[in-house]
Amino acid sequence: MDSVEPLRAEPILEVGEFYELLTAQLESAYGRRHPCWVRGEVAKVYEKTHLYVDLVDAGSSASDSKRPVLNAHCWASQWNPLKRKLASDGVSLQPGMIVNFFGYVDVYAPQGRIGFTVTEIDVAGLLGDVARRRLELIARLTSEGLLDKNKRLALSPVPLRVGLVASPQTEGYSDFTGQLLNSGFGFEVLLVRTAVQGEAAPAQIVAAISTLDGHGVDIICLVRGGGSKGDLASFDDERVARAIALSSTPVFTGIGHTGDESIADLVAHTRAITPTKLGEEIASLVSNWYANNVRSPALKLLSATEALLDEADEYVAERRRTMIFAVRDRLRAEQRHLESTHQRLLIQSRHLLASATQSLASTRRLLGAYDPKRRLAQGWSIVTNADGAVVRSLDQVRVSEDVRVTLSDGTFVSTVKEKDGVT
Amino acid sequence: MSVTGDWNEAANELNAIVASFDEGEVSVDDLFNKLERATAIIESLEARLETTKARVEELAPRIARVADDE
Repeated sequence: MDSVEPLRAEPILEVGEFYELLTAQLESAYGRRHPCWVRGEVAKVYEKTHLYVDLVDAGSSASDSKRPVLNAHCWASQWNPLKRKLASDGVSLQPGMIVNFFGYVDVYAPQGRIGFTVTEIDVAGLLGDVARRRLELIARLTSEGLLDKNKRLALSPVPLRVGLVASPQTEGYSDFTGQLLNSGFGFEVLLVRTAVQGEAAPAQIVAAISTLDGHGVDIICLVRGGGSKGDLASFDDERVARAIALSSTPVFTGIGHTGDESIADLVAHTRAITPTKLGEEIASLVSNWYANNVRSPALKLLSATEALLDEADEYVAERRRTMIFAVRDRLRAEQRHLESTHQRLLIQSRHLLASATQSLASTRRLLGAYDPKRRLAQGWSIVTNADGAVVRSLDQVRVSEDVRVTLSDGTFVSTVKEKDGVT
Repeated sequence: MSVTGDWNEAANELNAIVASFDEGEVSVDDLFNKLERATAIIESLEARLETTKARVEELAPRIARVADDE
């Protein structure tokens, strides 16, 4: 059998040899000793001990089947410090982000894949991207009318039923609830526990807001104590922002510490600079309402009651005095009238008495003139018959009848001898 | 002699009695009756006032606690 001559002079490589050659070629240009920067958009990101990112050209379409994809990975030994650094700046790798990876080519023959081992991530660039995305999110929320939507909700004048989205056993939680407890008002706090940092936090916060929104609380408070930007990143999450904006219950935020301002703060009905301050402000709302609607009316009520009772007291006392004086005056007037009448009667009586006395004297004098003794003294005499009757006419006596003749100094008996009438 | 009606009715009747004195309409025969009636009204008003004061004294500290609550 004839041997077959090779058609070409180039050697025929085994697969393994091919990959060795390829790897050598690539590493000589882009290997560990010749790292380079690659810029792209995160298409997929996956973390399991190590970080795995599918990077594509920025702006390319996912539907483009010919779109180049770079399978980048960052081993845990390098990813963990990078991750902490990103987290402290509030950055987490998310699809859609534009990133600059520094690293080298990595050929993985068993799967026939060419990958990219990341040794550095351009944090400054990512921060710029985060800031840009934040501005874009604010612009979107503004254009959709969501930035002020929750702010326009009417606030209960006495927000005593408080829905709380927080993580217990944190300082933010205890700072906030401590203010409510110390206020002395009967706040009813309905807590929905959530993570307040980490990848799971946004979804939990969104669910908590939705839950509380259906429970008829007066306000929903989103509370988280201070931390790094990374710790607070959940409150810049678009899902959280939308949940706050679309809540039918006013949402209050007390997130981080002075100087922190999250997207959640921007869309919230009311924001306080810290959880403590938020507790103070809510207690203050109730306190002000209480002062205006309970304490002040109570003071006015006390004062008005006192004034009314004083007025009634004075009225009764005045009527009593008036009545006493009126009766006394009336009695005195009546007494004066009686005294006056009495005086008049006295005077009139005296006049009458004097007049009667005079009249009596006159009569007495008149009667004196007719006194028979006076006449007898003048020589006149009175003749009476046996019966004692005064003889005034001859017809009253008979001849021979004895008659008694009375003189001024005595009487004597005489016998009628004859009668001689006057012709 | 009972005094019925509310405070204002009683006060109006008392005022009318005082006015009749002011206007000299009270005869001596009526004086005692009117004075007796006025006294009954005054005592009734005072009694009501004292009762009200006592009740207010009970309530005032409770209102004051609210008013003084800081």
